[in-house]
Amino acid sequence: MTRFRTNTDRLLEVTLQDEKVLAIAGSMVAYTGSIKFEKSLLGGEGIFGAIKRKVTSEGMQVMQASGTGTVLFAQNAAEITVIPMSGEKITIESSSLLTYDTSLKTGTSFAGLRGAASGQGLFSTTVEGHGNIAVISKGNLIMLEVTPSTPLRVDPDAFVGFKGDIKQEFVFDVNWRTMVGQTSGESYQHKFTGQGVVFIQPAER
Amino acid sequence: MPAYQQINEKMVEVTLNNEEIFAKKGAMISYQGDVAFSRSFLAGQGIQSMAMRAVTNEGYALMAARGTGKVFYAYDGLFVTIIPVRNETLYVESDVLLAFDARLTAGTMFLGNQGGVQGIVRGAVSGQGLFTTTFQGNGEVAILSDGNAIGLPVTPEVPVCVDPQAYIGHTGNISSSIVTDLNWKTFVGQASGESYQMKFSGSGTVYIQASER
Amino acid sequence: MSTVYNPGNLPSNDNLNRFSFVIDVKDQMFIRKGKMIAFYGGLSFEAMGTSIVDMLVRHAFNAPKYIHDFVVVQGGGQLILGDNGNDLACYDLDAANMTVRAKNLLAFTKDVICQESTLPGFLTMIGTGKVIASSNGPVHFLELPCRVDEQAVLGWADCPSPSYRYDYEHVKGFVSAVGAVTGFTLSGEEKQVDFTGSGTVLVQSSELGLAGSGVLANIISQLSSLAPTELSMLGTSVQEVMKQQRR
Repeated sequence: MTRFRTNTDRLLEVTLQDEKVLAIAGSMVAYTGSIKFEKSLLGGEGIFGAIKRKVTSEGMQVMQASGTGTVLFAQNAAEITVIPMSGEKITIESSSLLTYDTSLKTGTSFAGLRGAASGQGLFSTTVEGHGNIAVISKGNLIMLEVTPSTPLRVDPDAFVGFKGDIKQEFVFDVNWRTMVGQTSGESYQHKFTGQGVVFIQPAER
Repeated sequence: MPAYQQINEKMVEVTLNNEEIFAKKGAMISYQGDVAFSRSFLAGQGIQSMAMRAVTNEGYALMAARGTGKVFYAYDGLFVTIIPVRNETLYVESDVLLAFDARLTAGTMFLGNQGGVQGIVRGAVSGQGLFTTTFQGNGEVAILSDGNAIGLPVTPEVPVCVDPQAYIGHTGNISSSIVTDLNWKTFVGQASGESYQMKFSGSGTVYIQASER
Repeated sequence: MSTVYNPGNLPSNDNLNRFSFVIDVKDQMFIRKGKMIAFYGGLSFEAMGTSIVDMLVRHAFNAPKYIHDFVVVQGGGQLILGDNGNDLACYDLDAANMTVRAKNLLAFTKDVICQESTLPGFLTMIGTGKVIASSNGPVHFLELPCRVDEQAVLGWADCPSPSYRYDYEHVKGFVSAVGAVTGFTLSGEEKQVDFTGSGTVLVQSSELGLAGSGVLANIISQLSSLAPTELSMLGTSVQEVMKQQRR
């Protein structure tokens, strides 16, 4: 299995032993050993993959690194968090995903009418299975638990992803609308109920 | 020798004892004591270097700080890393320089020297100019990076390939060459110029930052 | 792996990590708009000017220029603040005063009075309570006397208001010949903020890379050769580019 490790908060080191890993195009900063880089298709091969890509058109290009050696990934000096997965499913903002194992299955999920102004596409990426993923965030990723008795409200730009049995709603709060912050389109919040964990970043996109 | 101290990841403090250092224009954020500032050019060897710099537009205005006291340097929220130079040559991109000792011998190295024609191509395409700055002697150099900079060890058995836009500098007995990977070239990354990588072999350290310029 | 937080184990009125701060909301507090990251519990956010908060505001918020950047949060719950990946710190005031750059002020308790400083762009906080401010990288505390680049000043405490000092000595010889070649720009070394007396200055890495950007200096030096219509066209172009960059 590939080994994911962070080297300081902003660099991800992936060790491959005749293995492959997928990452955002252009995020490789250095490598040792013999590694080959190729374009890869987000959403997978075949017609369903093509449809997914057309629908999402999230502008996300993925590359595959394969071979034996160590590859260093980074993206715009953002902080990186490694999340090991053992069978569960995580929903994550497509632009926050940096690198992931090929053993994981990715898909897209419709995130609802979030409004064009927030600059976050209409779709999120789902990742499921066994393997490692590396997530980028501006400022260290914060994980907050949601339980039936403690629902959570989150600023849309701070939202990165969630896992578990969680329901995501949009709340248009009149009082909140007075809180138009530095980014436009902040007239709503996310509300999370259910049981699971929400990932947020302490920054705006 | 001026004493460099890393205050935090974005700030460095230099203590001067009737000494002099050069720093990037606009990077001085505070000082205490009796320090005088004056403008300077990147010190080089003779008229030839000056002429070369004029041609290549690498003329880089610096501020010299001289006297006794403490000077604090930082720039635009970028990370600062102090690289010690101990009787060796440090190659570093001039646009990442924050501060360096006046006692170090600074020069410009035509990238073509390291790898002939390929060197020129690399300079032109990566947009970093045809020249890079060299420092020799004993002293410290403080550099800027977007996100932290780390030094990757290069050994004869393990050469290191680096994305040119993450490359900041290197020290040691290293030779650099360009690697063009056909598969890589088919792949249009977010940043242009990703159709080649820099390969470093030999013995030394390569410095990279956690982002691309 | 790092901790998963819930209302039970969140720090109380303390940093969660460098970039975020948790406020245990019980009393009313002033919060800067847009800096709320997430919250548990039942909190309401009132804009200034509504009758509920009028009494509080008249007493504590004495800086009309900045009033619309803040709201009052009340209710009960835990509020997480963040500012774009900047470091956050909480400053405890005990019958003291502290001046801080307005755009770095994130939150303060209601017993602290906020007034405009005589230095433009700064707010003076007076009284007893907590002040939460952000900084570009960790804050560094300097003792007086010292001279600081204006962009790097985050704030100061317990010392008299600073003055500007102009350092033209090194420039005199150069202005004639070399000045034209190098592009004479205010690099921060010419105009410094001078702190004298005793107290503490809060310093951060610069906000703007104003000098050293050849492109900018180039453009600015050519502005005087533009006609008024050209200048307004330039203004529109700048707006377009800025809009694109924010995305």
